[in-house]
Amino acid sequence: MATERESETVHLNVEGCPDGKLQAIWGLGNQLFAFSGSTPNTRSKGRPAENRAASDICDVRWNTEMHTSITRKLVNETHNVFVMLQGQVASSTGSNLQSQMVMSSKQYRAILKACSMDLMHMAETCEDEGERESFEDQIQIFEMIQLIWGFCQILFIEVTPDGLLLNQLLDWIKWHFTDGKRLAVDILHDEIPAEHPAYWEAIFRLLLQGEVDSVRKLLSLNTSNQNEAFLSVDELLRKMPQWAHYHHALSAAEFDMKWRHWRDECQRRLEEGHYVAFPNLETLVMVLCGDENVFAEMKDMCGSWYHLLVSKMLYQNPTVRAPDLHHYAEACMEEFTLSGTRMGELDNILLAAIQFDIHQVIKDSSAFLSTGSWWFVSHFTDLLHHCGQLDTQNLAYGSNLREFLLLEYASSLMSHKSLWQVGIDYLDYCSVFGRTYITQFINHMSLDNEKKAHKLLHICEERNMQEEVQTICKVMGMKSLRRGKLGAALSWFLRSRDVTATSKLTERLIMEYSKTGQFEYTDILDNLGPAMFLSNRLTFLVKYREFHKLYESGETNKAASLLLSLLEARLAPRTFWITLFKDATPLLESKEVIFNSGQTYVLMHCLEELRHELDAKTDISQKLTDMEKDKLDLLQLCLTRNLSKAIKAEGTVKTS
Amino acid sequence: MLATKAFPAAHEDLIHDIEYDFHGRRMATCSSDHTVKVWDCDENDQWQCTASWKAHNGSVWRVTWAHPEFGQVIATCSFDRTAAIWEELVGDQAKDGKTQWVRKTSLVDSRTSVTDVKFGPRHLGLQLATCSADCIVRIYEAQNVLNLSQWSLQYEIQCGITCSCLSWNPSLSRMHPMMIAVGSDDPSPGTGGKVHIYEYSENSRKWKRVEIIPVSTEPVHDLAFAPNVGRSYHTLAVASKDLSIFSIKPLGKESLGSGGISKFEMHRVAEFSDHESQVWRLSWNVLGTVLSSSGDDGRVRLWKANYAGKWKCIQVINGNGQKMSTTKDSKIVTVTSSNNQIQRIYEVKPV
Repeated sequence: MATERESETVHLNVEGCPDGKLQAIWGLGNQLFAFSGSTPNTRSKGRPAENRAASDICDVRWNTEMHTSITRKLVNETHNVFVMLQGQVASSTGSNLQSQMVMSSKQYRAILKACSMDLMHMAETCEDEGERESFEDQIQIFEMIQLIWGFCQILFIEVTPDGLLLNQLLDWIKWHFTDGKRLAVDILHDEIPAEHPAYWEAIFRLLLQGEVDSVRKLLSLNTSNQNEAFLSVDELLRKMPQWAHYHHALSAAEFDMKWRHWRDECQRRLEEGHYVAFPNLETLVMVLCGDENVFAEMKDMCGSWYHLLVSKMLYQNPTVRAPDLHHYAEACMEEFTLSGTRMGELDNILLAAIQFDIHQVIKDSSAFLSTGSWWFVSHFTDLLHHCGQLDTQNLAYGSNLREFLLLEYASSLMSHKSLWQVGIDYLDYCSVFGRTYITQFINHMSLDNEKKAHKLLHICEERNMQEEVQTICKVMGMKSLRRGKLGAALSWFLRSRDVTATSKLTERLIMEYSKTGQFEYTDILDNLGPAMFLSNRLTFLVKYREFHKLYESGETNKAASLLLSLLEARLAPRTFWITLFKDATPLLESKEVIFNSGQTYVLMHCLEELRHELDAKTDISQKLTDMEKDKLDLLQLCLTRNLSKAIKAEGTVKTS
Repeated sequence: MLATKAFPAAHEDLIHDIEYDFHGRRMATCSSDHTVKVWDCDENDQWQCTASWKAHNGSVWRVTWAHPEFGQVIATCSFDRTAAIWEELVGDQAKDGKTQWVRKTSLVDSRTSVTDVKFGPRHLGLQLATCSADCIVRIYEAQNVLNLSQWSLQYEIQCGITCSCLSWNPSLSRMHPMMIAVGSDDPSPGTGGKVHIYEYSENSRKWKRVEIIPVSTEPVHDLAFAPNVGRSYHTLAVASKDLSIFSIKPLGKESLGSGGISKFEMHRVAEFSDHESQVWRLSWNVLGTVLSSSGDDGRVRLWKANYAGKWKCIQVINGNGQKMSTTKDSKIVTVTSSNNQIQRIYEVKPV
């Protein structure tokens, strides 16, 4: 059982007071402020002046591996694969689904490989020592991940119908261990290949990977290639049954027989001493026979126990099935531990995979490979989950393992200024906690500019999060208000359907109008539509603006009746009535009769009401100034004159 | 793995509290030098001080931000027995980017030092809780959210024990009634459990004490509810002689006790004495999944629960409190991995 890594200790130099102790406060996402702060001891006692000093605040961020420019590409591309996979899971079933899974798995690995290569390139061209080291660390981790992923894909995802997996394992080994091939290329380019110091090493390495044709080629370059021994070996190699060639035609049992027959032939020739003259050839044929002892010698050519395992299987048991692998695995591991190699995290994970202990694989990977990033375990577990390889029951925290890891991964993306959108997409696929996480993040997301606010609003509306929509609009409204952009603030408040804020703002607009006589936000007011009914004040303002428009376009009658209805409906704030009356004055003073007698009575009634109210105020500062009293008197006069005009007009019989 | 930036806080004395605003782009600091400073993070991720003023006549202990839907509002509390509410002035910013903050009101009801001040969760309107050494928690409410000069003292909760810290339960669920946890740093063990939990009862329109955590008998320096992302239970972290994390699960309406108060199932899910000393401050991250604790050993530790619900320490940050000889060009941050012996040195440029 692997032990978990101890927590790392990070040392920060935070310049601070000698009395202060390091403290920390969280920001958004993975961000902390560390500062040298107080403790209750230092608070209560008096402190000598020389201990008072400025301290620094340290802004600490981590889990930012996925935020660099190269890994961002990884995040974005695998995001596409992930979303497609979830879609396919929802719509396909059976073998169709399985092939989709395999394809997704391959896509993930391909993207990872590409990212690795980018990192390698960066590491080579990098000048800073520290940066290069971190690139190399990253590359190493990616290598490990690719190894594990490839292996697990064979065991758990790309399961062949007959259960045989040697070919896939050979491919896997060939992909990750390329020394043999490289040596062969060197040798082939050499003048006299057979005298190259690594000649036999290359042959053995290739042999252990099942590269029979390459081995034959190298052997043919040997000076003694016409010797009987060499020809005999060449024949054996040529006749070696390989499952890749036969699996369409023969069943596993038939192939097994064929293979045993061939091996018996190798055994016979060896025992008859055909190769005594050439010790290397003898060793080679012993490998072909699957001789246990010779593999112990070959282990250095393999380099690792899992390579040794595959090679052994190739020559001892090519029809091995996955559940039986672990019998052989332990012996291989022992070969290496006995000679002093320590088993590392990677080895433990692979061993757990061979033992089909998926949970251990994930647990160990989480412990060792995700101190930097949750990318690997989250995508990997998601894939296994959809393959049906994971237990789906809910854990203590409320949901299953897959969701836990996806939540971790998505959270690590949230603090980045553009990757957060990717994070939200992942959260959508977390059925239990995804929505609340999204809500929580959106609530805390900074609304730097309109564009981002609109993006967030779109996200909320897509997911039917009405409350968040309202909050965002309220906050944006407040921000606009802070910057003095009243028009923008108004439209935000309207969108948030916040009556109080809208009313307050409208009152401000109305006050400004009465001071300056100018309307500033005519576009917004003209295009409000039904939104204007959100607040009484707002309705008033819009209608008042309409009044002005009608007046300016000369439709005085309509304007007049609108003004009247505004006063009657008591929509206006009382303080504004004087202004309304002032607006009415030109209409009253005009030659034609615009307000008829009935309407004039209403106006007079309103004026009386206004007077009463203003008179009744006991607060001296609110009592009418003389000028205002005069204004009201003047209005009274206007109204009376209009009344007489109107009565006259109505009483007059029109002569035709 | 870590990216760090240090910048001088420019306070003349110890900093007592730092709080980010909701969006993590503004920050307020308060100090023993009686001042409060507000900082903004600009597009280049650099922090600039945009306001600084003398807020009280004594050390300012805590500062807290209100939700931005109420505007830019902070509250502070101080040794001078008052708490104050400040709002940023609307209008054009001065050329140097500095802004003005205006005192909207002072809350002077306490007879002793006010030890903590916290705004309530947004969906409860604009409420503020303060606690003082005179054993009383006071809850104020803004009568009109658009005019912050008028706050009324709605409730006074007699805790019977001197209070050092409080925390609102930030649960977004409407099903949970309002809840506050109060901690006390009374050193005498005779006064019993030092963490009290109060809940607001709609029926009686009063705050009632629903729980005293019995195992917490050491003086409590800080406590904090974790943000609740949809779990059925609340998580409360308590900092005292060591760090404890409690899970508090409401037992539902059927098991209402006499007087209609809720009953809870309470477990201590973790107890850590890694600091080997008093633990002073706690802070939860936005999701309530990682907790940071600061202790008298001068270290900050981060704690996280794995998928099986087991809490463990995932990182330790060690601060060097000594003044460095001042070459202000760059600060060296040493990052050491203790298990694979790699030492890396990052250069950190001051802001």
